[in-house]
Amino acid sequence: MTSQPNVTIRGPEVPNTPGSLDPVFTVEDLSVFYGDYEAVRNVDMLIGRREITAMIGPSGCGKSTVLRCFNRMNDLIPGAHIKGKILYHDENLYGDHVDPIEVRRRIGMVFQKPNPFPKAIYDNVAYGPRVNGIKRNMDDLVEEALTKAALWDEVKDKLKQNALSLSGGQQQRLCIARAIAVKPEVILMDEPCSALDPIATTKIEDLMQELRQEYTILIVTHNMQQAARVSDRTAFFTADVDSAGVRHGRLVEFDQTTRIFTKPSDKRTEDYITGRFG
Amino acid sequence: MSAPVRAAAPGSPKSLARSRPRYGEQLIKAILLISALVSIATTVGIIVALVEPTIEFFSEVSFGEFFGSTTWGPLFSPPAFGVWPIIVATLEITLIAILVAVPLGLAAAIFLSEYATPRVRKIFKPVLEVLAGVPTVVFGFFALTFVTPVLKDWFPFLGLEAKNALSAGLLVGVMIIPIVASLSEDAMAAVPNGLREGSYALGASKMLTSVRVVVPAAFSGIVAAVILAISRAAGETMIVAIAGGFKSVFTLNPADEMATMAAFIAQAGSGDASVGSIPYKTIFAVGSLLFIMTFFMNYVSARLVQKYREVYE
Amino acid sequence: MAVLSTPKSAVELASKGRPLKEHLFRVALLSSLAIALIFLGMLLIYVLEEGWPRLSPTLWENMPSIRRPETAGIQSGIFGTLWIIGLTALMALPTGILAAVYLEEYADRTRWYNKVIELNISNLAAVPSIVYGILGLGIIARWLQFGFTVMTGAITVSLLVLPIVIISAREAIRAVPPSIREGSLALGATQWQTIWRQVLPASIPGIATGSILALSRAIGEAAPFLMLGAATLVRFNPEGVWSSFTVLPLQIYNFISQSREEFHVLAAAAIVILLAILLLMNSVAIWLRNRYQKRW
Repeated sequence: MTSQPNVTIRGPEVPNTPGSLDPVFTVEDLSVFYGDYEAVRNVDMLIGRREITAMIGPSGCGKSTVLRCFNRMNDLIPGAHIKGKILYHDENLYGDHVDPIEVRRRIGMVFQKPNPFPKAIYDNVAYGPRVNGIKRNMDDLVEEALTKAALWDEVKDKLKQNALSLSGGQQQRLCIARAIAVKPEVILMDEPCSALDPIATTKIEDLMQELRQEYTILIVTHNMQQAARVSDRTAFFTADVDSAGVRHGRLVEFDQTTRIFTKPSDKRTEDYITGRFG
Repeated sequence: MSAPVRAAAPGSPKSLARSRPRYGEQLIKAILLISALVSIATTVGIIVALVEPTIEFFSEVSFGEFFGSTTWGPLFSPPAFGVWPIIVATLEITLIAILVAVPLGLAAAIFLSEYATPRVRKIFKPVLEVLAGVPTVVFGFFALTFVTPVLKDWFPFLGLEAKNALSAGLLVGVMIIPIVASLSEDAMAAVPNGLREGSYALGASKMLTSVRVVVPAAFSGIVAAVILAISRAAGETMIVAIAGGFKSVFTLNPADEMATMAAFIAQAGSGDASVGSIPYKTIFAVGSLLFIMTFFMNYVSARLVQKYREVYE
Repeated sequence: MAVLSTPKSAVELASKGRPLKEHLFRVALLSSLAIALIFLGMLLIYVLEEGWPRLSPTLWENMPSIRRPETAGIQSGIFGTLWIIGLTALMALPTGILAAVYLEEYADRTRWYNKVIELNISNLAAVPSIVYGILGLGIIARWLQFGFTVMTGAITVSLLVLPIVIISAREAIRAVPPSIREGSLALGATQWQTIWRQVLPASIPGIATGSILALSRAIGEAAPFLMLGAATLVRFNPEGVWSSFTVLPLQIYNFISQSREEFHVLAAAAIVILLAILLLMNSVAIWLRNRYQKRW
């Protein structure tokens, strides 16, 4: 390796061999289409339980598109469909019997721009359990979720206040609390810090380390340092242009974060993380 | 509740299949669709209401007489069915209205979109909205009892009759100012700011930018607004019935009393033409003509709006 | 060689020639709005002045008459209008709002039938109101045999304002940012839960504003009722939906049609009442819009 990226890298506590990975998701030859346009092609990945998996790559490489397949948010876009398979604990996520709403109750999501509902902080957190038909012990549930999201101390005296009165970083942690309140197994994060300042970003990153004890986390980021700081495994995506001049996203390399950032096996990965393109 | 708090399940959680049936969702969607279909039913209803009596009308009155002669008087005896006088009256009043509304409405739109500060907009927008909310029977009253006498005083040489096309047309014009203004303003607001900045960067003044850049860029939207305003003017009933009168003579003089198509429908419809009689069927024949004319204009206008939306949004 | 002449070019930067023309243009634009404003003012003052002598309780306590203008009132018109508006609100508002929800939240815009529905609605919004009168006469009064009743009038005017309700409700619904919907759906809410608990509450101020404006259009409407027998002299208040009726604007039309000058005074007084009702509704609508306009 010629040029080491100037980033901190998490310790090598992740088991090395793929066999020791306990997969929550198994992605097999996944391609995503918008109508006839193939946005991403041929992705294979394993998402390990209680690990943080980061998806990085230049913009337009399809990483958010892939992320949105895991909770079937892409279903909401007319014409979007997939080929290939995503297994969630051996169950085909796109099987005929599968209810996307049930999927989203199991697999939470946090968006790029904090999007709290224009309601009280309490109601934001209670919303998920309520639409899922839970009525008992709501106060405890709200407190638990806010505590896990490291927001309880800041908001416990103003739970009835409108969530839009919070700062951007607080709003994003509220969105995380909101997702946790449904008790998902997986949390998808779509560039959760891109709208936040560095201090708020640090708080979210610390929070992710806490959450990792209990949840499986997938994060899309175009901040390489963030991927290096927080994740156990990293998937590097890029876009290439086929003979007809159409751009398709594809997965270049998927490995432990330490490896991706120290000895990537693909030249393109190396170029990207050393800042030569992207 | 049937759905207990799920633990972050180790191993394999329960199936992703629907945990409880949701027939409600489908039912709701069906109800919503039915609500949307009411509008289709309305159009069908209008066409059905018009078609049958219109066909019956033309089985008794020939096409040639309807479109070929210039004497109109279905309520007289002997009746006459030459439709041109009421078509001409409709066109004439519409023309007067457009001459009033297009310059004023367009100027208002340019001002509101290009010149007005937010505070000034906040004052003038409601004026247009209130103007749009004034019932037409009020405009008709104002035309008949105020505008016509004033015009008679000021311009005695015009020889205005007590009811005349001029006052009716002027007030129809005022009525459609808000339509021209607000739809044109929408079209101008859709013009990307980059075009304006490009023009300013070349040293163009605000006036030049408004007239040479914004208005041409918003042109299809402005045309759509004017067409819609024409359609509204052509179909306006109360103002023309009150201030324009019911006399149907074949004349072009705006000082004369003249009945438009809508005024005729109002007059014949509010009387007691017995069902099945020729005067009764005439209402529907004229109604069909009016509906076809306005339908065509509305369609063109809606397509133009769709077009500029596609270009800029 | 280019000679640098900084002072001169600085002078040239100052404006020259343009201001007068610019200024006149601006004045011309502004005066067109001023004309509308002055016109509106004149109309209001004129009507108020004309109608002033008859603006007394007898106006709304008495029934109309075409023989004694000095004691004639407009009570049956006021009550008729209230009946019509009440029923219109019950029929047109739910239907219109539900249709708007369908078009904004469920309809796949690439489907031909949804395109037809959309085009049809903007078309209907511009169909002359007298044509709706023909619809009421031909289909509702005659074919359905509802007769010249409050019910016929209310259905007719409901269909008339339906496109307006739909268009304004759609705008209000569209103003709710997609991120709110995504946030809700990502928590496992169903589409209807998302609409019912997030989208509709957030768009209620806009929907209410549009609904009030649509109803005030219905209040001022006269032409369709001409076709529905409401033009005849009605000297009693409606007793139910199957009662015959008149409405305030038509009562005004009736008075205007009388040749005696006293009836014009009466018409002006009735117009003041009508405008007062409309102005009140409009102010509520504008207030609602300004008060609850959300910034996301």
